[in-house]
Amino acid sequence: MNCKEIWVIAEIRQGSLTRTTSQLLGAARKLAEQQGLHAAAVLLGGEQTQADELARKVPLILWVKEPRLETYEASRYAYALRQLIEVRGSPVAILTGAGAAGLEFLPRLSMSCDSAYASSCVDLWWEGSELACRRPVYGGKVYEELALSTKPAFFTVRPGAFAVPENLETPGKIEAVSVTVPEDLGLDLIERKRTTAGQKDLSEAARVVAGGRGMGVPENFKLLEELAGVLDGAVGVSRAVVDAGWFPHDIQVGKSGKTISPELYIACGISGAIHHVLGINTAKVVVAINKDPDAAIFKSADYGIIGDALEILPGLIEKLKV
Amino acid sequence: MSLKIAVLVKQVPDHEAIVQLKSDRELDIEERYVCSFFDEVAIEAALNIKKDNPETEIFALSAGGRRAVDALRRAVAMGIDNVEHIGDETLETVDNYYTARVLAARLKTQQPGLIICGKQAGDDDAAAVGPMVAALLNIPHASAVVSLEMAAGTGRIKIGREAEGEVQYFESGFPLLVTAEKGLAEPHVPVVMRVMKAMKTQAAHIPIEELGLADIEPGGRVRRLRYAAPPERPPVTMIEQPFPENVVELINHLRQGGVV
Ligand SMILES: Cc1cc2nc3c(=O)[nH]c(=O)nc-3n(C[C@H](O)[C@H](O)[C@H](O)COP(=O)(O)OP(=O)(O)OC[C@H]3O[C@@H](n4cnc5c(N)ncnc54)[C@H](O)[C@@H]3O)c2cc1C
Ligand SMILES: Nc1ncnc2c1ncn2[C@@H]1O[C@H](COP(=O)(O)O)[C@@H](O)[C@H]1O
Repeated sequence: MNCKEIWVIAEIRQGSLTRTTSQLLGAARKLAEQQGLHAAAVLLGGEQTQADELARKVPLILWVKEPRLETYEASRYAYALRQLIEVRGSPVAILTGAGAAGLEFLPRLSMSCDSAYASSCVDLWWEGSELACRRPVYGGKVYEELALSTKPAFFTVRPGAFAVPENLETPGKIEAVSVTVPEDLGLDLIERKRTTAGQKDLSEAARVVAGGRGMGVPENFKLLEELAGVLDGAVGVSRAVVDAGWFPHDIQVGKSGKTISPELYIACGISGAIHHVLGINTAKVVVAINKDPDAAIFKSADYGIIGDALEILPGLIEKLKV
Repeated sequence: MSLKIAVLVKQVPDHEAIVQLKSDRELDIEERYVCSFFDEVAIEAALNIKKDNPETEIFALSAGGRRAVDALRRAVAMGIDNVEHIGDETLETVDNYYTARVLAARLKTQQPGLIICGKQAGDDDAAAVGPMVAALLNIPHASAVVSLEMAAGTGRIKIGREAEGEVQYFESGFPLLVTAEKGLAEPHVPVVMRVMKAMKTQAAHIPIEELGLADIEPGGRVRRLRYAAPPERPPVTMIEQPFPENVVELINHLRQGGVV
């Protein structure tokens, strides 16, 4: 059984929808329109405020209010969505953000539907009646374009691939769907520890201020936090300072850390090793501040300043505040 | 309790290898291949479990052409004695779906308690094969795992999984699949003796025909339309004024570009 829909699995972080979810709702609306389909958001667990937030962006919300979905776990999410597909029919495509959760549960779900999946896409379009995507491979040194032939076609999509859409004139319809998840399914969450107290999420942040070994000592990273605060952004770091034990791995940017796509990336005291810049290939505007005129980072930047980050950062903070 | 661990490894171009377009159908890849970064983390994580639990049995699997044997040699050099090479060159061009099918078919007969993959392979960067294998075996899985702790004598394991801004800890029994994130273990450089041993290793070979996958068409789901060059960043604009004028100039550029 099929339904003429494209679903976006909504992601909620710290109580609200992620920027990627809103962007995907815009993409789903456009893609659906082009083929006479309907765009819908799927909310697993969650609250009325989030359903309402979705309703401003998409004409239909399928809300699965199962208590066992209140905290995310991969096999439970995959199971619930598999049930939803069974009761409602197979949508044409299922999209979600390429964050920790999406990358974990969506390939699992695609396989249990015996269908095709493409990971970490940066664009989606119709190629005849098939959905096609563009995605970086080999750390972004080249891109590949794929068409997915089976339905539902599954995609995880990077932040920043699409613009956040306008609100709808009339809010979408919220439809409760009942799906039950077995008691004994999945892993039991026993504890969670925040690693980056209060900081905005690095992968989602529209602006990222990053520091490397050139920042000198851990205390100097306060400047980056302050600038991130002014820009409503997040702090990232190079591997050198993670290896030095100054910061946890989860804010490392690069090939063995996070691949991010912010609107603005400011690299301070970072030399620009290939491993690092592979993580920022899809950043829109890159600024490099480095005191070495020959630093490789300038080759991967849009704007460069040769100078001491410890002098320039306070200047930037002061001038941006006014 | 004796635990059987399978480690899945893949040979991929080094991060520093040059990869560019030959045409929109074909890539030009510099001949610098290594065992994928996260797969070495997976190997080390398995060895660490064995250190504390000497009964543990570890084997490594790689599916692919002749190159796959090099990934297995790395596993041997690092300390895994038991390695298996699945399939042939035809697997070099298949999608994640088919790779997962092949690996799962073999793992079904071996029945490991714990399967450790890399978070993502250094070529397709998909992070997909691990979760797909877990789905096929119908076992739970966790991606991007940064800690694994065996609870002594209980047959259970505590898993730390990295998500945005936090580490989530789960408890699980076996069987279980995890994908290794950096930080789970620190891959060691193998000693010369082991490297010599690895060079002489003949990996056991399993032909695809033995896996009972005849009814699945490789490449039936995902069709590659083309390769494309990455979007190019325009040449850098250096801001030459002295401090603090350079800061003002930079902010002007950023405001014009609408990013601040
Ligand atoms: C398999 C592998 C994976 C890797 N993965 C990653 C990864 O994911 N992410 C990552 O970042 N690295 C990664 N690396 C490491 C990478 O190769 C580099 O070693 C690392 O990025 C260097 O960090 P850095 O730029 O902070 O330090 P350095 O290379 O030491 O550079 C410091 C820079 O700061 C400048 N500087 C010094 N003082 C100042 C000042 N006062 N003001 C302004 N500039 C100043 C210097 O000119 C220099 O350019 C990986 C390496 C390997 C082998
Ligand atoms: N051909 C293969 N042989 C063995 N393991 C593989 C193969 N392809 C992928 N894997 C495993 O799956 C992980 C993720 O790969 P990928 O989904 O391609 O990013 C890798 O790090 C390996 O552990």
